[in-house]
Amino acid sequence: MSDEVIVHGRDFVRYRIGGAIVAFLLAIALVWQVYEIFDGDARTVPEIRWGVTEYNGTQMGPQDAPSALLTGQALADRTTFQAERYATGPSPDQQRPDYNVVPDTMMTTSPMADGEKLTQSWSIYGDDTGALLRPAQRTEGISSLPYANAALFERPFARDWRLGVADLAVHLGAMAILGMGFLLALILAVRGRVPIAHGRSNRTVKRFNLFERTVHWMTSISFIALALTGLTIAYGKTLLMPFGETVLGWAGWISTWGHMMFFPSFAVGILLMAVMWMGRNIPEWRDLKWLSVMGGMATDGGPNPPAKKFNAGQKLIFWSAVLGGALMVVSGVTLMFPYYWASLGTMSWAMLVHAIIGLMLIAIFIGHIYIGTVGMQGAFWAMWGGRVDRNWAKEHHEIWLNELEGRNGGPAE
Amino acid sequence: MARLKFLCDTDRCIECNACATVCKNEHEVPWGMVRRRVVTIDDGQPGEKSVAISCMHCTDAPCVAVCPVSTLYQTDIGVVLHNKDTCIGCGYCFYACPFGAPQFPRATLFGTRGTMDKCTYCAGGPEENGSDAEFAKYGRNRIAEGKLPICAEVCSTRALLAGDGEVIADIYRERVVARGFGSGAWGWKTAYYPEDGA
Repeated sequence: MSDEVIVHGRDFVRYRIGGAIVAFLLAIALVWQVYEIFDGDARTVPEIRWGVTEYNGTQMGPQDAPSALLTGQALADRTTFQAERYATGPSPDQQRPDYNVVPDTMMTTSPMADGEKLTQSWSIYGDDTGALLRPAQRTEGISSLPYANAALFERPFARDWRLGVADLAVHLGAMAILGMGFLLALILAVRGRVPIAHGRSNRTVKRFNLFERTVHWMTSISFIALALTGLTIAYGKTLLMPFGETVLGWAGWISTWGHMMFFPSFAVGILLMAVMWMGRNIPEWRDLKWLSVMGGMATDGGPNPPAKKFNAGQKLIFWSAVLGGALMVVSGVTLMFPYYWASLGTMSWAMLVHAIIGLMLIAIFIGHIYIGTVGMQGAFWAMWGGRVDRNWAKEHHEIWLNELEGRNGGPAE
Repeated sequence: MARLKFLCDTDRCIECNACATVCKNEHEVPWGMVRRRVVTIDDGQPGEKSVAISCMHCTDAPCVAVCPVSTLYQTDIGVVLHNKDTCIGCGYCFYACPFGAPQFPRATLFGTRGTMDKCTYCAGGPEENGSDAEFAKYGRNRIAEGKLPICAEVCSTRALLAGDGEVIADIYRERVVARGFGSGAWGWKTAYYPEDGA
């Protein structure tokens, strides 16, 4: 945070160049993400092929065509032994026929490349098979086995859940996060920082006390840790796969436990912030006016709609943190304790809510971090040292400043 | 090329639980987990049916699609396998599974999940086929020996069929024609033909 006296956003040249570079990079990432939605790789594709390497004394490579054919033939031949006993024995009518294809050695497994064709051909069926199919429907009965969820036979909803998480949440979440970053970088590049229009007065006023700041930073560090570990789980397969599956597995493992480690401090922080600040964050009519001009952030000299301690933008952030945070904590704890009070269906919904709200919160708080640091001159010190420049306070929180300095009421509206 | 499937003839299943028991025994599945279960629908009512269920090794398997660490993978015979070394116990596969197949041992006092375990179609895991390391983590690898899942091969009424999808469908069809009734292939629409509807 530089201390030069700059009163025009456009004069923050270095910030604007940085913003332009970041905007350009994020635009590329956004294009890539849009491509990922439509590139048609959402289907599960076989990656490993089985192979017979020795049959009737003849050796073959695991990738040779006969190798896979013999695998299929061996297993299909073996399957015929489950036909009726009059056909396959042992029975009075029929002795057990000989095997047809039996490999001499154990089959091997090796990577394969053209799995897409298999997935396609598997999902096509003819009239004979069509006549066998029953409509997909949720089916649950009883089971004599003493395990949680043992009585479930089928729940077709799981396939929709997969679409919800793997397609909807992951892709839209990435769009939201990258889009928010792109938008902010673009604003920084075009507009520069929001300056203190009257320059610094070099007189400061107290804005947040030590307790408030401690709670804020405890919650924010927890949130960032939770966000990073959560993002590793959501996007690790895309971003870390190039480093190998072992790295991905370790990153995932650390993230899973890290995610649980940082949850208690986050939950406590959210609760304390709700108690500390809720009274000052009740929505008012004034907020609509503030929102209608976006708090005057588009131009250097305002208009700066008067606000109390928290303006409408800060109230939105507060309620996102409190309501979104509460949803995250409730859904997260539900997921940490499988079956304690939630059934499989409830846990599925908790997971969907957790993923979607989590990604939205990350996008929203990127905006909060932006405006609190590079986006606006002077804003960072409110939460860091606790004191803000008087001119900054006058421009953004006029009513609050007046209250503080013992004057009555706000300016004429 | 064979596409392996499971088919349980609910008009034959007698809920003897031999499939569940032999599976636990063959693979030395740990306490608290079960790879194959028998579910009874409308117990004690007219039309009661029992059906054995495990991982169905789905087409376009949803568990593989949602796994954040690429633990799950499918093979060219349709079998879906998992790698216990990379699993983080997040439970996504469990929420995405239409048949409730993935199981998680309890890892800590706090109810958190350990690494996932599920039916391997008696096909082991990523370790060398037939090795001790593979057996310890995933159980016996019968597929590599050219055999089929023990749950089906042990079934005394031949209700549970496993193997090439075409062959078991033919066996089942022939049976239905001979006896004159059959309630169809339970779960096949969801497991193997998800494309249209559902």
